[in-house]
Amino acid sequence: MADRGPEAFTSGEPLSPALLRRRCAPEELPFALSSELADAPAQLGQERAAEAVEFALRMRQKGYNVYALGPPGTGRHQLVEDLLRRRAAAESTPPDLCYVNNFADPQKPRRLDLPAGQGAGLAAAMKKLIDELRIALPAAFERDEYRARREVVEQQFKGHNEEAFGGLQKSAEAKGITLIRTPMGLALAPQRDGKVMQREDFDALPEDERKRIETDLAAAQTELETIMRQVPQWEREHREAARELNRETTGFAVASLIGETRAGYGDLPDVLEYLDAVERDIKENVDDFLPPSAPASPQGQQAEGPPAATPSEGPAAEMRFRRYQVNVIVDNGGRQGAPVVYEDNPTYQNLVGRVEHLARFGALITDFNLILAGALHRANGGYLILDAERLIAGTFGWQGLKRALQSGEIRIESLEQALAVASTVTLQPEPIALDVKVVLVGSPTLYYLLSQHDEDFASLFKIAADFNDRVARSGDATLLYARVIATIVRREHLRAFDRDAVARVIEQSARLAGDSERLSTSMRSTIELLQEADQLAADAGKEVVGVAEVEGAIDAKIRRGDRIYRRMQEEIGRRTIRIETDGAEIGQINGLSVISLGDLAFGNPTRITAQVRMGRGEVVDIEREVQLGGPLHSKGVLILTGFLGGRFGQTRPLSLHASLVFEQSYGGVDGDSASAAELFALLSALSEVPIRQCFAVTGSVDQHGVIQAIGGANEKIEGFFDICRAGGLTGRQGVIIPASNVKHLMLRADVVAAAEAGQFQVIPMATIDQGLELLTGVPIDTINQKIAARLDDFAAKAAALARAVAGGPP
Amino acid sequence: MIGTIRRVVVALDAVSENRATIDAAARLAARWKSRLHGVFIEDDELLRLAVLPFARQVTLGFGAETLTVVAAERQLRAYAERSRSQLAAAARGHGVEWSFETVRGTAGSVSVATSDFLVAGTSTRPIGGHFRVECRWWSVVEPSPASFLLAHRETRAQGAVVCVLRSRGPASERALDAAAQLADNDGGRLTVICPPELAAEPGFTDWLSQRLAGHAIRTEVELLPAEPTAQIRHIVELDCRLVTIESDADQALPGRLREIVARVSCDVLVVR
Repeated sequence: MADRGPEAFTSGEPLSPALLRRRCAPEELPFALSSELADAPAQLGQERAAEAVEFALRMRQKGYNVYALGPPGTGRHQLVEDLLRRRAAAESTPPDLCYVNNFADPQKPRRLDLPAGQGAGLAAAMKKLIDELRIALPAAFERDEYRARREVVEQQFKGHNEEAFGGLQKSAEAKGITLIRTPMGLALAPQRDGKVMQREDFDALPEDERKRIETDLAAAQTELETIMRQVPQWEREHREAARELNRETTGFAVASLIGETRAGYGDLPDVLEYLDAVERDIKENVDDFLPPSAPASPQGQQAEGPPAATPSEGPAAEMRFRRYQVNVIVDNGGRQGAPVVYEDNPTYQNLVGRVEHLARFGALITDFNLILAGALHRANGGYLILDAERLIAGTFGWQGLKRALQSGEIRIESLEQALAVASTVTLQPEPIALDVKVVLVGSPTLYYLLSQHDEDFASLFKIAADFNDRVARSGDATLLYARVIATIVRREHLRAFDRDAVARVIEQSARLAGDSERLSTSMRSTIELLQEADQLAADAGKEVVGVAEVEGAIDAKIRRGDRIYRRMQEEIGRRTIRIETDGAEIGQINGLSVISLGDLAFGNPTRITAQVRMGRGEVVDIEREVQLGGPLHSKGVLILTGFLGGRFGQTRPLSLHASLVFEQSYGGVDGDSASAAELFALLSALSEVPIRQCFAVTGSVDQHGVIQAIGGANEKIEGFFDICRAGGLTGRQGVIIPASNVKHLMLRADVVAAAEAGQFQVIPMATIDQGLELLTGVPIDTINQKIAARLDDFAAKAAALARAVAGGPP
Repeated sequence: MIGTIRRVVVALDAVSENRATIDAAARLAARWKSRLHGVFIEDDELLRLAVLPFARQVTLGFGAETLTVVAAERQLRAYAERSRSQLAAAARGHGVEWSFETVRGTAGSVSVATSDFLVAGTSTRPIGGHFRVECRWWSVVEPSPASFLLAHRETRAQGAVVCVLRSRGPASERALDAAAQLADNDGGRLTVICPPELAAEPGFTDWLSQRLAGHAIRTEVELLPAEPTAQIRHIVELDCRLVTIESDADQALPGRLREIVARVSCDVLVVR
């Protein structure tokens, strides 16, 4: 790199063409085709970030989650995912996550964790079990054995009733009393000739006969009341006997089938406990399994609790059997190692899961089968990658993530529940313990904002992985970059790139970094360039991508985006916008600015003019006066004012009024890269020494007149070059740049060629004095004397004017 | 055929299982395009009891309570109104015209003409799920000049229609026609049960085929055991939804009918 330092050139003299663009020499690359190179071991220049991520992965304590910050395109996602996948592959696979019905409280579904891959097996086993029971249970209740036992139960209780009521009826009839059914119950009445005795007949009976009847009736009545009091108890006993018979019948049918299911899960107590609950529930709800033609209760009876006639086929039946299903919300079957999950839409529900609903007859219903996993469930036991900007912008995703990380569990709630704005009853699935490492990928700006304004952020994301946007262009780095190119080519299934093409891509990377001594780590731009060059090779029917295709892809991209730039160039050529590239003018200079159009930037020459007159020492920035100048531009103007005062105001008052303006500029102006040009224009106006218009100038200046580096040097030089070339290169034209920007030069090949041909020049300057001499061709002392004389003149005239105003001698 | 049915009369009261009876009657009225007429009997016996000074009724819900005429009448009216509503709903459901009347008296107060068809329930409402007092309608069905249906409290939609034949006389023909018609209604099965001697009569099979021609039914013929108890057991064991019996050929029918009704769990149609 020593050949591009200050000692490699002389300020004030044109740079040698070799300094205008640092080439990547293909002959120094030890391969012929990119396909010969092995994959890059890591991403270029991201050692610091990789180290941070790896450290976070080793830390198992709470809060060691990662925020990967860096500019887009620097390979944050790729690096993070590569590191995570490498580590995850060596870790154990987490269990399958299932939700099953909680038979004790269906509103709170139970969680079941099964070894990876066994969740689906349990779901299938349960389906098989229920399918078989739907056949086996009706068959069990159709058997003669059941019917006979049921008959016994019915007869037993029927006999009980008939014995009691029949006995009463019989004893009453022996005493001339009949038992009659009333609309509500039973009554006893004396009878005569088979009919209830009439009142007149009763009244006509002898006293002792009436008394006897009343006594007999009272006794029978007492007996009837005693029987009736016993009836509810008999009913209960009957129901319970019938239920017990049903339970026994069901239990026998269920036991063998569910035993087969149990056999596969002997080492999983939670599953066995669940199967016990299933067995109990089936016994209690056997009627769900029986078809409408199930054995009716024995004839003549309206027994309580026998197998009821409920449909066991169709949608209604399916709804009832849903409670025996197993909802496998995370199936890790087939996975090797821990999961690495990227959620590209990190909303609240996509992160913590949701409970969906079904519309049934106008109502929304739900059950545990409608629980859906979120990204946290899928990543549990592993790693979760999220885009920070999307997370923050998404609906309550950030709040949901923080809550889960803080509590250490995933609680599936609707957003309304989480915000405590809903009062409807819904499911409360059993929370799941959370063991996940989260990596947020985002911009540095968001990282600093969260650090400052979110008090939870620092404790939850303790590791920052800071990504470089450039890397030093050493020999090793160049070779590593070549391997990165080879890796991308392979990964993207592109044609092989030959050595020249690879070298050109590396040069373009330096150009993207805006620095001949650095390479850009923005892989997005590089990938696009490789893909587009590959397409051009395909169009040309080539098997290998050469430098022509790379150049073609670069040019094509510029051409696609330079419409506005070309329009401005055209208007300058037509003199609609005045830019002089020849002759000399007092108080006028060509400044240079940069226009960014999407991911392209172009240099734009601007005519800067200065006017001076007698005044009170003000330098007016017209851009600022009309609110088109930004603060950095104003700062530059104030600095040059400071320079003026320092150099010329020590022995005299600065009795001038100066104004500076970007001519034909109708938009905002910011940055201080034109401050040197503005100072040159001002000094020219003061000294009345004309400035050569064949030059354009860029650079900022300090109060001591030292020229400082600016950004976009390449685009600015090329912008002025294009103007000059359009009007015809004279050999005198060129751009004066800060000497400290020489190392940044990665100019286009046509600019370098023009310099080699002596048609264009790039001249470094170190100080204002050096630049002014270059621009005017006049020694600086002469210029300074002229300025001093002009200022003295202004001061004398100002003093005379002041005396005249005060009424003194002129 | 039973003949032209002018009305299907359904006998109702406050203590019987009325709903299934009304449904069976409405179905038949719709099939025969007859008028459905409900007769609700306000039980004279109950009112006579209520007049007595010591009249009390015992219920499961409230235990023993005094039974007054006013309370008895109120309860009867409530049941009459409920029966009327059920009858109206069933008639609307089957698209038949209907009428309803309340008669104070005994079961025998239901007036039936030869051109009517009587439907009555076989069960009273149970006390405590099991105990039922005896059916009230024997006094009207046994002397009824019209054919009648004794409706079981639970409607059976499946199973064969059974027809018990004694001879090839006019009553047997009517019973067979009615059974075939009701079996044909669902494209179902008809099981004809007859004594061996009848089945062995020359031309019986042809006679049977002739009578059943035009009905889309599957017919089986079974022989009736000679012993009366075995006969009833044989009928009970059949998987049937309706038993059809001709009445005038069987002198012992009243007693046997009660036994059959007590033991089968389906409707019984008696063809006069």
